[in-house]
Amino acid sequence: MNLAEIEAVKARAVASAMDAANAQDIEAVRIEYLGRKGLLPQIMKGLKDVAPEDRAAVGQGANALKNALNAALEKRLSELKANATHEGAPSAFDATLPGRWRACGTMHPISLVIEEAVRIFSRIGFTVAEGPDVETGYRNFEALNTPDYHPSLDNQDTFWLESGELLRTQTSPVQIRVMEKQPPPVRIVTPGRCYRRDTTDATHSANFHQIEGLYVDTDVSLADLKGTLAYFAQQMMGPDVNVRFRPHFFPFTEPSVECDFTCHVCLGKGCRVCKQSGWIEIAGAGMVDPRVFERVGYDAEAVTGYAFGMGIERIAMIKYGVPDIRMLYDNDVRFLTQFR
Amino acid sequence: MKVPVSWLQEYVDLDATPQELADKLTFSGIEVEGIATIGSDYAGVVVGEVRHMEPHPGADRLRLCRVFNGTEELQVVCGATNFEVGDKAPFAGVGVTLPGDFKIKKAKIRGEKSFGMLCAEDELELSDDHDGIMILPHDSIPGTPLSDILGPPDTVLELEITWNRPDCLSIIGIAREFAALYGTSLKIPEISLNEGTAPISDFVSVTIDDAAGCPRYTARALTDIKIGPSPLWMQRRLSMCGVRPINNIVDVTNYVMLECGHPLHAFDHALLSENQIVVRTAASGEKMATLDGVERPLTSDMLLIADSEKPVAIAGVMGAAGSEIQADTETVLLESACFDPRRIRRTSSTLSLSTESSHRFERGVNVETVDWASNRAAQLMQSLAGGFVATGILDVYPGKREPRQIKLELARMDRLLGVSAGVDRVVAIFESLMIPVVEKSPETVTVEVPAFRLDLDIEADLVEEVARMYGLAHVPDIIPQAKVVPNACDEPSRAIFSCRDKLIGLGLHEIMSYSFVSESLLNIFTEEDQAARVLLPNPVSADHGVMRNSLIPQMVECLGRNHSRQITDAALFEIGKVFWKDSEGAVNEEDRVCIGLMGKVGCGELEKRRTVKPDEVFLWAKGVVEALVSAQRLDKDTLRFTPAEHPYSEPGEAVTVKLGDTPLGVLGLLRKDLRHRHRMADPVAFAELPVTPLLGSVFTNPVFHPIPQYPAISRDVAIAVDQNVSHSAILKVIHEAAPVELTGIDLFDIFTGEGVKRGTKSLGYSLTYRSFERTLTDEDANGYHEAIKDALKRELDVDIREG
Repeated sequence: MNLAEIEAVKARAVASAMDAANAQDIEAVRIEYLGRKGLLPQIMKGLKDVAPEDRAAVGQGANALKNALNAALEKRLSELKANATHEGAPSAFDATLPGRWRACGTMHPISLVIEEAVRIFSRIGFTVAEGPDVETGYRNFEALNTPDYHPSLDNQDTFWLESGELLRTQTSPVQIRVMEKQPPPVRIVTPGRCYRRDTTDATHSANFHQIEGLYVDTDVSLADLKGTLAYFAQQMMGPDVNVRFRPHFFPFTEPSVECDFTCHVCLGKGCRVCKQSGWIEIAGAGMVDPRVFERVGYDAEAVTGYAFGMGIERIAMIKYGVPDIRMLYDNDVRFLTQFR
Repeated sequence: MKVPVSWLQEYVDLDATPQELADKLTFSGIEVEGIATIGSDYAGVVVGEVRHMEPHPGADRLRLCRVFNGTEELQVVCGATNFEVGDKAPFAGVGVTLPGDFKIKKAKIRGEKSFGMLCAEDELELSDDHDGIMILPHDSIPGTPLSDILGPPDTVLELEITWNRPDCLSIIGIAREFAALYGTSLKIPEISLNEGTAPISDFVSVTIDDAAGCPRYTARALTDIKIGPSPLWMQRRLSMCGVRPINNIVDVTNYVMLECGHPLHAFDHALLSENQIVVRTAASGEKMATLDGVERPLTSDMLLIADSEKPVAIAGVMGAAGSEIQADTETVLLESACFDPRRIRRTSSTLSLSTESSHRFERGVNVETVDWASNRAAQLMQSLAGGFVATGILDVYPGKREPRQIKLELARMDRLLGVSAGVDRVVAIFESLMIPVVEKSPETVTVEVPAFRLDLDIEADLVEEVARMYGLAHVPDIIPQAKVVPNACDEPSRAIFSCRDKLIGLGLHEIMSYSFVSESLLNIFTEEDQAARVLLPNPVSADHGVMRNSLIPQMVECLGRNHSRQITDAALFEIGKVFWKDSEGAVNEEDRVCIGLMGKVGCGELEKRRTVKPDEVFLWAKGVVEALVSAQRLDKDTLRFTPAEHPYSEPGEAVTVKLGDTPLGVLGLLRKDLRHRHRMADPVAFAELPVTPLLGSVFTNPVFHPIPQYPAISRDVAIAVDQNVSHSAILKVIHEAAPVELTGIDLFDIFTGEGVKRGTKSLGYSLTYRSFERTLTDEDANGYHEAIKDALKRELDVDIREG
């Protein structure tokens, strides 16, 4: 076979490789040309009959035929494979099946708010302090300048225990614990569980969570308090949320204020959530009463401080739109899994 | 407290809408919780006169009345019984629409026609009173529009008076605030008494045995009075303030209390023995029936008002039954006094008896105006009930108040508030609040505390006055400056946060339960722990009667609740406190983490239909514990799970967990009966671990170990062994026979059944050999492996399964 004939065979062979419709076709083309009894071995066998001066060229031609055909076959095979996937032909690989890896669990909304609040205050230098749920009457009331005839000492509001101790009605006793142990400055937040003898309804629960803050230093002002709560409000509820103060009364702060946040739903326009007022009452706060400083042995002339407290459940309910506090303690999995 | 604006206007000139008034008050510290409009124009409602009355022929409880409406007599069927022929009452004829869109129609009631309705107060939205129809004054002329009699609708502000401001528990107190806020003056009513000839000493003597409990006691007497209803205007005001009108004398005591904040008490003088009033403490064991008909045991720190024989009132709280003003009372003894707030508070709290009077006394009243209140009441009684006022007031006043001054340093105030009001403004604020300024300079202002301001004690109290009147809106918000406080440490809380994060990463959902549980629930789990339970002496309900001593019972209840809602698979955890009592009765608390697994939570996606065996669920829970321990940077390999009995588990289905020598709680399968309560068919696993041991290593630094340089060789061994031989026993044998080159043992198969001899199980282990010094040869590995196989055969009598 001369070179021209070999070139013709090559063209024919490559063409049939390109036309192969499936893997069997490809195999058939391979056998026809490259198989033991195929055309290429015959060409090689006939090489001895070729004129010696042409033999090298013809041999190279045969080799080129073999390479070109192999390349063509391989290319066609991969094309067929790719097409098979694209055209949805039956395959072992179904990408639409559900993924198989365990999903993460979820954090309880109360923990979500506590952790978020702690992160926000941590950014501005507050550290967490904690204390026991079972407290002394002294730390829960007296040290906080709550006289022994104050109504909140009543059975009506406080769970007293047989031991003479009580379940703390606020996390403020932690502030006392910290100040008893540590000289100023103090810059703490105290998240934790509290207890009051409230009958459970949509907005009351006999156990609930608070986060309180305390900053005591040489020159702390009501303006610092306002700025800190404004920062918290924006970080927690959104950048367009502001705060306003209303005068109030708490035994352990003087002056005392209640702090409203702009309603994050309507941004102050008035809606159902804020009862059309544009504001939502969130925190109680004020400048630490000098009598509290005296109790813990601080020099009330030398230091000033602010304290604030907020209900975690209330923030969670407002932030996530939970209509009933009891849902937070019912632990329905369909509720829990919404807080990813 | 409810404050009608029209009443307020008697003492202060106000020219603002109710909403403006409310905002003004709210932003100066007295929160207005609501604004209510009382009354309306009552279009069509007129004075009706009952001209005739007879029983309804078809109904025992109804009456047929003929009511004259000024133009005609109409038949009206009426259910009320509190009126007689000749009485006047609001009448709404056919076609009139009452508040609440209630339209009066011609009606037939039990066969009798009715052409209108005689109205009760609640039907006119004047009060909640529905005890009979509203009786109008006798001189009302039939046909007069009701609005002419009642006047225009009134606005009532509902206020939250904070505990420190008892001076605001009165109309005058609120008027004083408004006068300060608007810069106008307060008008206190002038009192002119027409005293009779008999001196007060003819009627009563007063002895105070307990001067600390009663700093001041005054008495007045009124004779020849005529008991009757008080005038409509007074009744209206009392009703608007939520006080029920009774008779002219009692109404005056209440009216003056609302007006000026002093509770007053009127006794029927005839019931007083030997004209004596003694303010004394109760004898122990003494009892007294109060006006509400309840017999109350008294304790020795309670203050009583007594005559020579018997107590006639619990001081400041409530009068004795039988001492009250009767329809035929002729002589009234009027008490106006001041009592120690703490004593009243304790008494009211001990007796669980709170009245308008105790509410004010326990917060404190102005000792200096006790006589003013008495005079004011005497004046009003005389004008409403006639009679004579005995000459003089008997005034026993052992607890005179010392005048007090407080100095305010302006610089310190400015620093505290972060804003400066300036000395002139500060002085103006005090003067507007009727707090006399006795000294002022650019640096300081000194004031004298007026007797009505019981809350002003130290400088900070004055700062608060300035802040609230100057306006908190003036306080700027300063961008917070982060401050590093030396030695501040919050690792414990961050460690708990990290523990929570890891459990969530392991796929568990966090729950939160109450700290209280019911005793009956705990008893279902076990009764063994009863002595150590912390009971609440005063629970809100029996469901919340005891502090939880384990997180598991509520975890099970939670799983059960979800199960009943068709959620059959759940992996939950809770981090929370438990409480118990030690043998001395001291209450302990501890943070714990509880894990609860229900259903097929550990199964892969496509194997949820298969049956789950109890030991599988147990091992899932064990896996969570191991993973948590490991994630908390503790050495998982030192965990020990030792079989132990636990009251929440069937025998043999619980283990105690230890980390090295540290006890780490319990892990087990829930007892069947506890599952069956909630119809849970699949096994439930629980674990409860104290949190503290899990936190110790969270913030330790991981220590780098060199990564192996030489390749490892794996060899498998499959053994058939007696069912009772444990995995840990096999590991022990392998470890003992192993060279240091054995670096890993992985169980890859457990099989029983076909091909495995009865009573045995087949286990497949993959052993990894590796040297840190050289590349191992196949011969090395084979040598180690054969030695281990031999040891297994020798020690545990296993069959080595080939192939």
